[in-house]
Amino acid sequence: MALLERLKRPWPDHRAERMLGAVSLLVGVAIIAMVVFVVTRAWPIFQHNGISWLTGGASLEQEFARMSAASASPTAADYQLRAWPLIYGTLITTVMAVVLGLIVGLLASIFIVELAPARVSRAVIPMVRLLASIPSVVYGLIGILVLVPYVGNHLVTEHERRAMQGTVQLTGAGLGVTVVILTVMITPIMIALICEALVAVPSSWREGAVALGLNPLRAVRAVTLPAIRPAIVAAAVLATARALGEAVMIQMVSGGKSFAPRPGDGITFLWEPLRTLASAIVDYREGLASPPLKAAIYSFALLLLFAAFAMSISGYLVKLPLRKYQTRG
Amino acid sequence: MHRIRRLSVALAVTGALGVAAPAAANASALVTISGATSSYPLVALLAAKYNKLHPNKIRFKITQGGTTVGLNDVKAGSVTIADVAQEPTSADAGLDFYPIAKYAICVVTNKSNPVSNLTTAQITSIFTGKTKEWGSALGATATGPIDVFTRTSVAGVLTSFKSLLLEGKSVVSSATEEATEGLMRQAVESTPSGIGFLSNYQANKGGLNVVSVGGVACNQTTAAAGQYPGVSVFWEVTKGPATGAAAAFIHWIDSSAAAKKIIASQWVVIPPS
Repeated sequence: MALLERLKRPWPDHRAERMLGAVSLLVGVAIIAMVVFVVTRAWPIFQHNGISWLTGGASLEQEFARMSAASASPTAADYQLRAWPLIYGTLITTVMAVVLGLIVGLLASIFIVELAPARVSRAVIPMVRLLASIPSVVYGLIGILVLVPYVGNHLVTEHERRAMQGTVQLTGAGLGVTVVILTVMITPIMIALICEALVAVPSSWREGAVALGLNPLRAVRAVTLPAIRPAIVAAAVLATARALGEAVMIQMVSGGKSFAPRPGDGITFLWEPLRTLASAIVDYREGLASPPLKAAIYSFALLLLFAAFAMSISGYLVKLPLRKYQTRG
Repeated sequence: MHRIRRLSVALAVTGALGVAAPAAANASALVTISGATSSYPLVALLAAKYNKLHPNKIRFKITQGGTTVGLNDVKAGSVTIADVAQEPTSADAGLDFYPIAKYAICVVTNKSNPVSNLTTAQITSIFTGKTKEWGSALGATATGPIDVFTRTSVAGVLTSFKSLLLEGKSVVSSATEEATEGLMRQAVESTPSGIGFLSNYQANKGGLNVVSVGGVACNQTTAAAGQYPGVSVFWEVTKGPATGAAAAFIHWIDSSAAAKKIIASQWVVIPPS
């Protein structure tokens, strides 16, 4: 028990410093190890395709079929991959969900903090926190059992289905349902962050604006919103991170076809099925025994890692010029 | 001081027990199985029955993934047995195939579209995309475009379906791919204009319309009698001849009456050759 006694005594500063330094170094080492692990396993795809695996032009389903059937010693042709439809699917769902979420989240936060009576705010804020903590699989189930059949049976017209026949089938699972559920998933986090920032703006700033003759809503627009720009950026970055990583829910409702939805198709654009990088990993995760498919899955993971890093850095860069407005952080 | 000593003794005893108990259970052999989702219900039932009749002999770990995944796994040595739902090909040299049961591949449509019968020519034409619309010519009450559901490329049922009922042709490229039998079932159940294919075990669970092929209904009886055209085999596949626990299990399936009773409940027993 002498050891226990020794540990319970207060540590000298240098020992505590070194211990905490070691722990933080461990985190850095873990990140670097993860990146190295993924890059080494994704390397065969770069080796056989160069950079052109990021472009499109071939049928991803056929490429996946060839990869799954490859033996333990695959040929160079088995490694062919043109993953643009997946990258495009990830981009379009994330951008649409985050933009929609920002608009709804900002307006909701302004209402909750500035305009709502106290009773309403007190009721709404716990509900928002509850929504933010619901596991995404639950959203996926609601999507696949309620939204997808509704869209497929009531919103998609026969004319649209005939127009797309031969290319893809419009069964209801597609871009529209994916973006709606993704937005519902990421907006509560944004509302929570922006509300916190709105509350932290010194009330004297807003009172000054009102004293100068602005009505409350214009005061918010003119004074509070510019002051919380760093928080809006932080909310957008957090929401994008969650949207990028969403795999299982998107796999359930996106239609599972590696197709790049075409905006030029009008309303059919919302019904077209797609696949994202994360949902492709979920779809083909059982194929890790086949070497080309394993390399392909790791290359999708590498792209997602890269996107996460790029977002962290761009979030930091966007916040730099906003430093002069900061009230906190 | 006394409290700490008592606590650490209690922890040590629990730890020792915790390590010893799994070690005792580990005296049994481990058999890992992966592969077809269509034969999973059968293999799971057989494994459970084997454990009931011969307790503590074999520990089974059964996963799925699709026939191609099972074949790749057993070739790489990461599983002992692969569940396979398609015929052996030249690429499977070095693997031993043991048939355990026969099953029928049924064509299914949504309950709201009760197509009673289709010929193999009509089935081929629908699944390859030549026939694009429902209508009375197919005996369907639905109208409008046909939504074709198929399986992902790792599925053995797809390979068997193509060779038995599709005259070897490929399914149309615009068809929606489902990863498992369960997902295929859910897709056809929720799409009024849908058509797909399932093993007879899943198809006859209710909730779907099962289509007769060439006038012959798709069920276990017609498959056993040899009348239904789309009958394929479930195989257990090992790398080289089966040995040890895997061999004991496969031999038990082949010879025991209890195993035959399980197989005969939903599938077709393979007559001894």
